[in-house]
Amino acid sequence: MPKYSSADILGLAPALVLIVGALTLLLLEVFQESEKRGYQAWFTAIVAAIASLVALPMLDGEAHRILLTQDGLFFAVADRFGGAMAIVVAAGLALSALTAGAFLGARKAERGEFYALAMFAASGMVLLAQATDLLMIFVALEIMSISTYALAAYLRRGMRTTEAAFKYFILGAFSTALYIYGVALVYGATGGQTGLQQVAEAASEGSLLLMAGVAFVAAGFFFKVAAAPFHMWTPDVYEGAPTPVTAFMAAGVKAAAFAALFRVFTVAFGSEDVALHGWMNVVVVLAILTMVVGNLLAIPQRSVKRLLAYSSIAHAGYLMAAIAAAANPEVRAAAGEGLLYYLATYTFAGIGAFAVVAALERQGAEGPLMWDLDRFAGLARVRPALAMAMGLFLLSLAGIPPTAGFMGKLLIFRAAVDAKLYGLVIFGVLTSLVGVYYYLRVVVYMYMREREPSVGELPAPRLAMGVALALAAIGTLILGIVPGFFGEIARASTLALGG
Amino acid sequence: MGSVPLAHYLALGSALFAVGFAALLVRRNALVVFMGVELMLNAANMTFLAFSRAHQTMSGQAAAFFVIAVAAAEAAVGLAIMIALVRNRNTLNVDEVDTLKY
Repeated sequence: MPKYSSADILGLAPALVLIVGALTLLLLEVFQESEKRGYQAWFTAIVAAIASLVALPMLDGEAHRILLTQDGLFFAVADRFGGAMAIVVAAGLALSALTAGAFLGARKAERGEFYALAMFAASGMVLLAQATDLLMIFVALEIMSISTYALAAYLRRGMRTTEAAFKYFILGAFSTALYIYGVALVYGATGGQTGLQQVAEAASEGSLLLMAGVAFVAAGFFFKVAAAPFHMWTPDVYEGAPTPVTAFMAAGVKAAAFAALFRVFTVAFGSEDVALHGWMNVVVVLAILTMVVGNLLAIPQRSVKRLLAYSSIAHAGYLMAAIAAAANPEVRAAAGEGLLYYLATYTFAGIGAFAVVAALERQGAEGPLMWDLDRFAGLARVRPALAMAMGLFLLSLAGIPPTAGFMGKLLIFRAAVDAKLYGLVIFGVLTSLVGVYYYLRVVVYMYMREREPSVGELPAPRLAMGVALALAAIGTLILGIVPGFFGEIARASTLALGG
Repeated sequence: MGSVPLAHYLALGSALFAVGFAALLVRRNALVVFMGVELMLNAANMTFLAFSRAHQTMSGQAAAFFVIAVAAAEAAVGLAIMIALVRNRNTLNVDEVDTLKY
């Protein structure tokens, strides 16, 4: 039997804080009258802040293996990588909760379940980034996914919402089945191991069974992160889900899934035979495909929400490039640094952009017109601050200095160059240029078009939304102008992970 | 009477997986599609148990329990989503669920 210690509890503290917060919120709901709601978004933001505070001790000091047994098995680890990801996830949770506060408040749909589900999902994300056992990853993945299915279906009276939730559920369940079947094959190929380190020891050479397992595990993850050709569900689901949930899915779910993917592929399947001669070429091809598909399909979109959905596929492509570079043990640390940094930048800029879409969304009607480009026309005259924030987020997504997105892309492309994946870098830079076109088109609409009266009134500004946008804008600027701050954390965390 | 060899269990597991996948692709009723997913999860269970017996380790048996529990939780949320879908549109045919388009 493993011995419990206080260090084990401390190592799981961020997830525990989120779970306790969710349960507290559910209990408080019982005693609240419906008019007094509206505190939940702030409550969730405070819980997220506490979760990131208790994650800070993980950032310095040694990795602690949680519930280490005598056989050397452990299911999760409290290390720098997990701590950094916990902070990124908590930031994503706080931003999308505040966005949701304004969004649901305007629709009179504020209920505690929404925020409780978001906190449960975030606890799954934190555990996913800390898990070091394929089975634990499965459980964490499902804690995250099942909560997100329910979140996507939250506004259950809308045709589009239920359709989006249904598609998300079926494809999510399918990807889970792929993943767990892959784990079963790996379990067989390694003589009964699911711990990442034990798998690595047993599987330094890729047998056919092991490679089949790796392929299924990878396919499961690629569905979750929406990499082409597993991206088909993304635009529909992201468009149909309530906008704050879309923001949470695009940033939080993707970040956590990429963190787990990185850990699994570098620790368990990181040996030269399995990585360099195995999955690297496949990941390179998929990364290029994802960048091309995401960016090209974003061009004709008039619905800004759908445009951002395609852009999130494109960003998955850049993150896949980091995974591909990590196949080379020598550049693994640099690739991980880029991945972590990019996830942080996308959390702020991506959620920020979706938050602006939520702030402008037309109420009452259903259809693509709710997020049409025309709703952004002349925004700079009517709401200069909102237009400026959106411009900042879009520049960051496009990767233009001095915003955060530029630093993220720079780190990833540098790692890919070190790994001698020149073709990947060329495709990355070219597709980024394509991205600039459709991001800047929104900026052109906001600053250079006249407002047309037919698009209707803008919703009234709300405090929670303002705070969320301000925080996201500050995060985007800080990550862009002072890259050393989070860069140090990212570098230190992946050095320990990559060996 | 010899015991059933490992390969037979694995073949059964992969056959179940293939049947589930085929159901997911071919069938039009949302419930049957979901059943296909459940079959795929059970294929994973079968594979876990077969390897668990072959390698004489108990962790595969535990893994199967995890999968069963998670599948139950997934079904609870999934069926709720399908109820919401039926209430909104009065259909479970996946071909008719197509408001969101490219």
